[in-house]
Amino acid sequence: MIQHFDPRQHDRDLGTPAPAADAAPVSVEIDGVAIRVPEGTSVLRAAALADINIPKLCATDSLEAFGSCRLCAVQVEGRRGTPAACTTPVAEGMKVTTQNERLARLRRNVMELYISDHPLDCLTCPANGDCELQDMAGAVGLREVRYGFEGENHLAAETDHSNPYFSFDPSKCIVCSRCVRACEEVQGTFALTIDGRGFDSKVAAGQAEAFMDSECVSCGACVQACPTSTLMEKSVIDAGQPEHSVITTCAYCGVGCSFEAQMKGDQLVRMVPYKGGDANHGHSCVKGRFAFGYATHPDRITTPMIRESIDQPWRQVGWEEAIAFAAERLTAIQAEHGRESIGGITSSRCTNEETYLVQKLIRAAFGNNNTDTCARVCHSPTGYGLKTTLGESAGTQTFDSVMQADAIIVIGANPTDAHPVFGSLMRKRLRQGASLIVADPRRIDLLKTPHLEDAQHLPLRPGTNVALVNALAHVVVTEGLEDHDFIASRCDNEAYRAWRDFIAEERHAPEATEAITGVSAEAVRHAARTYATAGNGAIYYGLGVTEHSQGSTMVMGIANLALATGNIGREGVGVNPLRGQNNVQGSCDMGSFPHELPGYQHVADATARGRFEAAWGVELDDEPGLRIPNMFDAAIEGSFKALYVQGEDIAQSDPDTQHVEAALSSLDCLIVQDIFLNETAKYAHVLLPGSSFLEKDGTFTNAERRINRVRKVMPPLAGKADWEVTIELARALGYPMEYTHPSEIMDEIARLTPSFAGVSYARLEERGSLQWPCNAEHPLGTPTMHEVDFPIGKGRFAITEYVATEERASRRFPLLLTTGRILSQYNVGAQTRRTDNQVWHDEDVLELHPSDAEVRGIRDGDWLGITSRAGQTVLRARLSERMQPGVVYTTFHHPGSGANVITTDSSDWATNCPEYKVTAVQVEKVSRPSEWQRRFDEVDRVQREYLATARDTTAPHLEATP
Amino acid sequence: MSRDHVITLVQMVNQIATNLGAGRDATQAAQAVCTHLETFWARPMKQRLIACLGEDDHDLSPLAREAVGRLAERQTHRAS
Repeated sequence: MIQHFDPRQHDRDLGTPAPAADAAPVSVEIDGVAIRVPEGTSVLRAAALADINIPKLCATDSLEAFGSCRLCAVQVEGRRGTPAACTTPVAEGMKVTTQNERLARLRRNVMELYISDHPLDCLTCPANGDCELQDMAGAVGLREVRYGFEGENHLAAETDHSNPYFSFDPSKCIVCSRCVRACEEVQGTFALTIDGRGFDSKVAAGQAEAFMDSECVSCGACVQACPTSTLMEKSVIDAGQPEHSVITTCAYCGVGCSFEAQMKGDQLVRMVPYKGGDANHGHSCVKGRFAFGYATHPDRITTPMIRESIDQPWRQVGWEEAIAFAAERLTAIQAEHGRESIGGITSSRCTNEETYLVQKLIRAAFGNNNTDTCARVCHSPTGYGLKTTLGESAGTQTFDSVMQADAIIVIGANPTDAHPVFGSLMRKRLRQGASLIVADPRRIDLLKTPHLEDAQHLPLRPGTNVALVNALAHVVVTEGLEDHDFIASRCDNEAYRAWRDFIAEERHAPEATEAITGVSAEAVRHAARTYATAGNGAIYYGLGVTEHSQGSTMVMGIANLALATGNIGREGVGVNPLRGQNNVQGSCDMGSFPHELPGYQHVADATARGRFEAAWGVELDDEPGLRIPNMFDAAIEGSFKALYVQGEDIAQSDPDTQHVEAALSSLDCLIVQDIFLNETAKYAHVLLPGSSFLEKDGTFTNAERRINRVRKVMPPLAGKADWEVTIELARALGYPMEYTHPSEIMDEIARLTPSFAGVSYARLEERGSLQWPCNAEHPLGTPTMHEVDFPIGKGRFAITEYVATEERASRRFPLLLTTGRILSQYNVGAQTRRTDNQVWHDEDVLELHPSDAEVRGIRDGDWLGITSRAGQTVLRARLSERMQPGVVYTTFHHPGSGANVITTDSSDWATNCPEYKVTAVQVEKVSRPSEWQRRFDEVDRVQREYLATARDTTAPHLEATP
Repeated sequence: MSRDHVITLVQMVNQIATNLGAGRDATQAAQAVCTHLETFWARPMKQRLIACLGEDDHDLSPLAREAVGRLAERQTHRAS
């Protein structure tokens, strides 16, 4: 007897989704084959598990059964008629027949009707080789269409080409509703519908509009679900069917979706979300699914370049010369200005192995701890706050955990834009009835989730998070909503007592904080009761929590709330930072911070440091090094002279741009390793070509601590992967590193980092992915953290005094600017701006409330000067009811927008994470770009010329140099 | 070291003192600030901050001054 309980069959479509894993087994017999499957399994799925493949069209295992095509009709002993196998659940003792003459005739008849209204251009159809309709015509043995092809049909329906990535050809549509259901069930956007009835029914986007004019977010779920060529990637229409595929991990956000990179030789034809991916289960967003064209964009830097000073044109050279030039400079600078005069920045876009090597280079070859990473400017407060309270610098759950949550709090995060695939999963849970509480100055799209049952919006003033979280905790404590058993058994009693006395003070009552936060006491009380009493309460947060002068305090406040209500240590609860970049969790894990060796082991910890010293063969500095903003200050002051930056665009992404520009201009040697001439590279002396995620092997770690493999699908454009470049630089500095493959780097990481001890490429191949801690105690990884105890033993409540930021609205700067992201663009935009995602967002705009606009005589589309104490920039106005009066908002995806010219040097007290989310500004109508923008345009023009000159004058002998 | 840089360092330590001061008595608070500086601050930054103690025109808050004093003692002890 075949038994199937938890099959990991990702490559086959089993027709309907798996039932609950804990369902009781049921025995059935299909075509004489006995099989046991969990209760709730469809006959179609049960048959597929026994490798009995019933023809189907409207069924696919990513969607609930629909029963519309009738192709999967079967006969069940003792039952009348021919029920659809997809909608018929198995029952104990059931005997099913899937093939006989009657069923064959029925299926042929069904197919005959479909094909009578379908173009017969199979040989030239883009789906040729990948068409379920064609396969089913073959499977049922269709040989003739008695109705002819002259009757009423849809063959003249016009194709919608409006979306840049896929076309919609309704002449090929069989109205199976898979696209409509995918848009509803998987993505949760409800952009598609079946319009009309009977023969007239057709798939329509929005109100029967073009896809681009509808609510469609271009996630690709409909394209993925379509069994024909109706919804088809334009890249496949152009290139034809791919011939092989490689499973890899997306290089966009911290969700870390698994994709099949479908290839023709070394040409990437399409990215298809991988059903076996544990983070995304076959779903995707517009970035990962479609926006990969940047990887082969003509702007890619493919040759190393050097120059004596930044006012000179670039000179293309071979790898050897560029590396020797960089090493000589670094050595000379250290000889003149001391060991601590140089440093480096690791990349949250590169792999774990590459990040590990850069910090190793800095600590071992530079001989100091001046290493930092872009997490400094995003989630460093998460590291501090969670380590202090829970003992580990990472989120506590898997993404799937949200499906067990009863109340979900989202604070300062915008998952449907910034973590879209997780946003869709969260929406799915919300449609099932979980309560939603959003604390955000803006009305984010999650609040507009279709079929949302119960949503509460706490529209707080920017900068008042801590006052709000304290008020929530005050309600929990004073209304008797604490989980006393959890607190008694799992938390440090002394810290709890101190915290409880603090939080119970009347000044933290919602009635008292109302004047600070702008959120009504009643709303706060309601939210606290919902979270504390729903059952499973889960908190998700983003940069709207961390990027404040009290970012670390807020993270601790969130942890306090979870501890007080016992919402830690099981599925469905937890404290979940939504990490921004693909490998920002990994870059932190890998020892990028100046005070921590890999695995968050402090540099002053003699035992841990000793292990690294023994393995690396050098003595390591036992004091922390400079953080990014400290490096900038030291550069301007003159004590910091050289910086190696791998895959990070600090000139665009860091706050107070003019300060950053001044710092970069002060350096004697700036080495930038990137795939493009980014903003930082305009201040560089050495430009080393980077490699995209498609060009190397390695691993990324996502926001749920999941280590996923990145697999090379094409050779590096410039001949070297990033990890190989770092090795070359180390060697030139007299510190040889001997690795022939990234797996050897991971082996070293596992030897030196207790939480990674069980991680290896072999184990990753076997398991697909692993969530750290993965070691002897947790050989298969740790999906849910803190189930039994905390790494610090007991959970520690922290005192979270609300200290208002000094950045506040005044007569001179009466508005508060906050910044964020949108779906189609990613971070500084270096990748997405070089794709068709530009059609959704080709400029950053300033959103402001109509009442703020009215008093200033501003109309939609006007040019606005935005001025803060740090600088001025000019953006176009967009009037938006999503904003609250007094608060304005912009994104930073385009360098010329200068969003960070106005953000200030204000930062988190504990970690120096910049306060991007609160800047006091004034806004007024203007007629021309700001002074900074005019200067930016000039620098940009000159630096592009320097690059173009270098490319024009490439010496012929260099072409042979890889 | 430039005047601006010192002002920045003083502002930073004052901010830390304000945030770590709450809910602790004076001794605990000074110790917490001192530990924070030891754990997270780079050597040259700590050294410059300690140098401030001997110069009287800096705006170190009383708690910050106390914490930096402790840091100076511990650094001296560490060096010996």
